Amino acid sequence: MATVKEQLIEHVMKDEVSIPCGKVTVVGVGAVGMACAISILTKELTDELALVDVIEDKLKGEMMDLQHGGLFLRTPKIVADKDYSCTANSKVVVVTAGARQQEGESRLNLVQRNVNIFKFIIPNIVKYSPNCIILVVSNPVDVLTYVAWKLSGFPRNRVIGSGCNLDSARFRYLMGEKLNLHPSSCHGWVIGEHGDSSVPVWSGVNVAGVSLKNLNPGMGTDEDKENWKEVHKQVVESAYEVIKLKGYTSWAIGMSVADLVESIMKNLRKVHPVSTMVQGMHGVKDEVFLSIPCVLSSSGLSDVVKMTLKSDEEEQLRKSADTLWGIQKELKL
Amino acid sequence: MMDLQHGSLFLKTPTIVADTGYAVTAGSRIVIVTAGVRQQEGESRLNLVQRNVNIFKHIIPQIVKHSPNCILVVVSNPVDIMTYVTWKLSGLPKHRVIGSGCNLDSARFRYLMAEKLSVHPTSFHGWILGEHGDSSVPVWSGANVAGVNLQTLNPDIGTDQDKEGWKETHKMVVDSAYEVIKLKGYTNWAIGMSVADLTESLTKNLSRIHPVSTMVKGMYGINEDVYLSLPCVLNNSGVSSVINMTLNAEEVAKLKKSADTLWGIQKDLKDL
Repeated sequence: MATVKEQLIEHVMKDEVSIPCGKVTVVGVGAVGMACAISILTKELTDELALVDVIEDKLKGEMMDLQHGGLFLRTPKIVADKDYSCTANSKVVVVTAGARQQEGESRLNLVQRNVNIFKFIIPNIVKYSPNCIILVVSNPVDVLTYVAWKLSGFPRNRVIGSGCNLDSARFRYLMGEKLNLHPSSCHGWVIGEHGDSSVPVWSGVNVAGVSLKNLNPGMGTDEDKENWKEVHKQVVESAYEVIKLKGYTSWAIGMSVADLVESIMKNLRKVHPVSTMVQGMHGVKDEVFLSIPCVLSSSGLSDVVKMTLKSDEEEQLRKSADTLWGIQKELKL
Repeated sequence: MMDLQHGSLFLKTPTIVADTGYAVTAGSRIVIVTAGVRQQEGESRLNLVQRNVNIFKHIIPQIVKHSPNCILVVVSNPVDIMTYVTWKLSGLPKHRVIGSGCNLDSARFRYLMAEKLSVHPTSFHGWILGEHGDSSVPVWSGANVAGVNLQTLNPDIGTDQDKEGWKETHKMVVDSAYEVIKLKGYTNWAIGMSVADLTESLTKNLSRIHPVSTMVKGMYGINEDVYLSLPCVLNNSGVSSVINMTLNAEEVAKLKKSADTLWGIQKDLKDL
């Protein structure tokens, strides 16, 4: 007797291998990877999601839990495997794998451990998705984006670090709280290193085009009675504070990654502060990755915005670049 | 709270607050209760009862104090009993106390069946009712794609005689939670999405039908105050109606049996 499926459904097309058109892979199913996954799924950015990790039980459990939500999603295929073949033909690969900061630990401390992990991951990604865009999230993100770029051999438009997209989002949230406005109406850019030495560009901070620094020339300095400098300090300390309270951060970084993936998948050409190769800009002489405003599209990072920075802001960027290069030149890649 | 707030730029929920004190919940339209102990590997949901009743005695009165007009959505397991407990402790009318119940079981069922048929879960229609747990009831007589009844195509569907073994799909639904717990320690994504699905119907006044846990006394020969999942119409008042699903004798018997099991536990609960 014919099966229920055969009785019910008549297959009418010649069987073709269906190539996913907007596949996204997330490498690493820890808290950050899964937060990226759920944000990408609920924003309906892809028709296929692949998860990769080394811990097989956890990986399978996470995949099943997402699949069980299939009824509520618009991503019909969710796959997971230790083997990178499941990631084949990805458009974007989000790398969250690696060790994370312990309480009180700085991001730069994680370098060598994570370089070793990347030496396994990056070639595998490239093997199965030679045309993908790699989005690095693992910390220290600027150094590891450089590492991913070197190990992959990709052109610089296809290796992007999540960088200061989150720092700027936190800055805009805190600014919004101070001004009683929604973050999307508060404009401010945090650039440079994603970490302790990020640079808030006070001259650009505005609401509806009104420069706040024009209203308050002391903004961002120690003399400022309103102490706006504290807003940036809170941004720098955010991660440490959340880690101290709940052990790790996940939600905000997940949402910020989905925001970047959206711009790429939908070819939006939105400008985001993400980590890119800045050699030759702002007086930076070495091959380092730092966050500056970049145009994201389906080709990846196609253009950068040339910000007019104050000399002390450029000095800070160069100092970050020096710190990062100091670490990078010691790495064995 | 902070981690969510830091994502505010990407959200359309401008106020996110949190506190150990319930005053922060004041004026809520919907209160979702997930608190309580969860199943350990291999543990059944029913084992969690007394521990969770004690926790709810602390939680529910405080919720109602600060949001007397809210709709309560109970998720904590064993959800059917905990929804009953919540109803008793809250004093709210029964249409405003809802258990997440079999919304997730049915979603898992639709996902698994759809995979077998190579269609999207939203195109496979099938209901799992009764207890959210080991004795849930798959209503095979209603299973269909595009209105084509699967049981008409295969009269053995869901029985032990079925050569295609469709009964296994329901078994997989029952085993789902245990399997995911064994693999990753807990389940969260699918249940979270299913609760958001219910919340959407409630807040947007959609009058969509969901298999959720509601007070079923008087239906299907059940004479006790028990909560079981039946197809309910959800809108901004809560459960506005219950669909009189056509069940065969065997399915009704299973519902009654669940009701008896649940009442057996509920009648021994103290101080509700």
